[in-house]
Amino acid sequence: MYGVLNNCFLLSYKHKISSPPHTHPTPQLSLFSSMADPGNSAADGQRHVFESFYSIIALVFILLACVELGDASTVVDVYRLIQYDISGAPFGSRVASLNHHAASSLFAPGSDLSRTVVILPLRELNETFIREYIEQGKPLGGLLLLLPRFFRSENSQNVGGHVGISDKLKMKEVLADLEQKLIHSTIQYPVYFAFEDENLDKVLADIKRNDAAGQPATATTGGYKLIVTSPAPKKLASPTITNIQGWLPGLKADGNSNQLPTIAIVASYDTFGAAPALSVGSDSNGSGVVALLEIARLFSILYSNPNTRGRYNILFGLTSGGPYNYNGTQKWLRSFDQRLRESIDYAICLNSLGSGEDGLWVHVSKPPENAYIKQIFEGLSKVAEELSLKVGLKHKKINVSNSRVAWEHEQFSRLRVTAATLSGLSVAPDLLESTGGISDNREFVSEAAVVQSVKLVAESLARHIYGQEGKNINIFADNSSLAVNPSYIRSWLDLFSRTPRVAPFLSKDNALIMALKKELADHVAEVNLQHDVIDGMFTFYDSIVNTLQIYQVASVTFDLLLLLVLGSYLITLFSFLVITTRGLDDLISLFRRPPSRKIKVV
Amino acid sequence: MTMFHFFNCAILTFGPHAVYYSATPLSEYDTLGTSVKTGVVYLVTALVKLVCLATFLKVSESDIFDPSQELLKALIGFIDVAGLYFALTQLTHRNISQNHKFQAVGLGWAFADSVLHRLAPLWVGARGLEFTWDYILQGLEANANLMLSLSLAALGSLMWLRKNKPKTLIPIIYACAGFVATMPSITSYLRWGLGWHLPEVVAFQLFTSLIMALVSWQLFSACQKPSA
Repeated sequence: MYGVLNNCFLLSYKHKISSPPHTHPTPQLSLFSSMADPGNSAADGQRHVFESFYSIIALVFILLACVELGDASTVVDVYRLIQYDISGAPFGSRVASLNHHAASSLFAPGSDLSRTVVILPLRELNETFIREYIEQGKPLGGLLLLLPRFFRSENSQNVGGHVGISDKLKMKEVLADLEQKLIHSTIQYPVYFAFEDENLDKVLADIKRNDAAGQPATATTGGYKLIVTSPAPKKLASPTITNIQGWLPGLKADGNSNQLPTIAIVASYDTFGAAPALSVGSDSNGSGVVALLEIARLFSILYSNPNTRGRYNILFGLTSGGPYNYNGTQKWLRSFDQRLRESIDYAICLNSLGSGEDGLWVHVSKPPENAYIKQIFEGLSKVAEELSLKVGLKHKKINVSNSRVAWEHEQFSRLRVTAATLSGLSVAPDLLESTGGISDNREFVSEAAVVQSVKLVAESLARHIYGQEGKNINIFADNSSLAVNPSYIRSWLDLFSRTPRVAPFLSKDNALIMALKKELADHVAEVNLQHDVIDGMFTFYDSIVNTLQIYQVASVTFDLLLLLVLGSYLITLFSFLVITTRGLDDLISLFRRPPSRKIKVV
Repeated sequence: MTMFHFFNCAILTFGPHAVYYSATPLSEYDTLGTSVKTGVVYLVTALVKLVCLATFLKVSESDIFDPSQELLKALIGFIDVAGLYFALTQLTHRNISQNHKFQAVGLGWAFADSVLHRLAPLWVGARGLEFTWDYILQGLEANANLMLSLSLAALGSLMWLRKNKPKTLIPIIYACAGFVATMPSITSYLRWGLGWHLPEVVAFQLFTSLIMALVSWQLFSACQKPSA
């Protein structure tokens, strides 16, 4: 450590003077200047010495300043639990900064944990802990939840090869369950998520060993200290939602000035989860957005040639604000021209298409007997049969007085536009449920299912547009130029699985929004962005990512003991030296007071 | 807690110097000036050594032990001895006996060495929350260094200031002085060449410094007997 300074000096001297070596070394200490006048006078040499001395001092100060920062044994990126209000009611973790000793799950039940941070891997979660500390709100210094490595979005498919798929599914369920509990509770202590890695495993093993031996870490017994420095979380001023719309115009017949009918395909792209920095939502609703992009690509090929352009306009909508009662969709629809809204034949909303084997559901709010709904559903079922997919119909009435919007098509239905949602979910989710949290990982999304859904929607749409219903035709056949491209789907799914997309934390010109806009612009004629503010019912707070520093600290007793030992060492040294150099009498005389001299008054 | 640790390590590193000064008759004879001047000489010697190291040594990237480089470092280490010679002989001291002169010079030398090499790491490192044993070991090393400096100063004063020495002891004196002067090279060889850990190196340093202190004490008192 102290060799660093020496080495630093050496390295600073590395800029050698390129002059030939003198026979007698005159003090030419020009450190940082490469020019060397051999004929320097003594005064110049002196000046050089002083200058270089000052530069050494400056270098030392810079070094000191740099070394001050970051002397922790372990530094980890941690992701905070979301903090939000619904109409003023607080939810989530209300505190961001953390400065307490660490304990593991092996703490003695009933002990006071209000000044301790509990480090809890996901595997060791148990019901009593969740019930007492999360739902009932017992005081706790802090909570650090460790997620298994395979939840990390960067290496979703490569790492965690030794974890079986059933284990992974179990973890997913546990995590989804935990996320729901955390989102709906009010927690007065900081909660952070982190991924397991070697350093944390070592630290946790150490802490468990100490806990098992009955020595939980406190100020007097040493151990580990976890520190997150963060200012108090502030409200986000006006969180924006950005809707992206793409317009693919159809072929207007000559002499026909009427507005062409429009078909809308919509998917919401944002997510909501327990940790906003980790909510990647691969299935909800990454799969829906990817399907929309692929459909846009296929139809753009068809519509690029006037011979194959259909007599329908296609409107693509990537909406935001999905978890918040499809707020963005509502604002987007409200911004429509009356004529455009009336020209929409029907809208298909895509949601959670990556679930796999269970089949898809068509959710509608108009009664199934309605002619339009029948037509849509029959079109879809015919194609589904050909693809050997299961498709069911579910009807859920809208309650206009209830502000809860469970499916995206309900926002269309409230404005009297026929719409349906195609989803892998069979039951309408509650508020902030199935909104793509941490547990919604790339691992659990089936690419093949998304490909099938794209085929389903595109084929049924194309048959309707070109009037080929009931005919034996396969427009988007495999191995044709119109085939669905699995690698396109895969690469976009991978991108979405790496990008957390909680709407309040996406700025207006966020890279993802720009990428989606560009991608859509490649396929359609006209792309527009619409910015709006999230419904006032929801308020969000910042500070979603922080760094955690783990220090190994010695206890107070250790320092006191050391002081005692050193004190006695110095005293012994002192006595020893006095005895050997001045004699024992001198030592004793140091301790005896000088005899008080009483002046005798005569 | 952390300032506490810094305070502890500081008194371990610098306390013995102060204790030595106050406990021995040095304080009575007011030899502080000598020590201060020796400190300045040490600083100049350190600068000269750095310049030589920079000019003649290749900076290697890895920590392997290169014998030729180490030999060069040892040779440059003898500049230390030259500095000590300068301090012992050339500085104008007041009339203090040889006995106290070498102690004052050794003390000043060791104190300057500790301050230069150990104060900055201590200030920067020991105040942090993270606890390591390094700074306590560094303090012990400072103690060993103090004893070595005193022995070297004693042997140096024997070699250069005392004119009448018993003939038999002269080679021993020179051998011991040589050994003490090459201690830094030996330490770095143990550290990098043999791969010893810091606690073992510090233990070795303490052990050898104790032995050398005893040996030089015996030599000094042996040489003192002929002169009254």
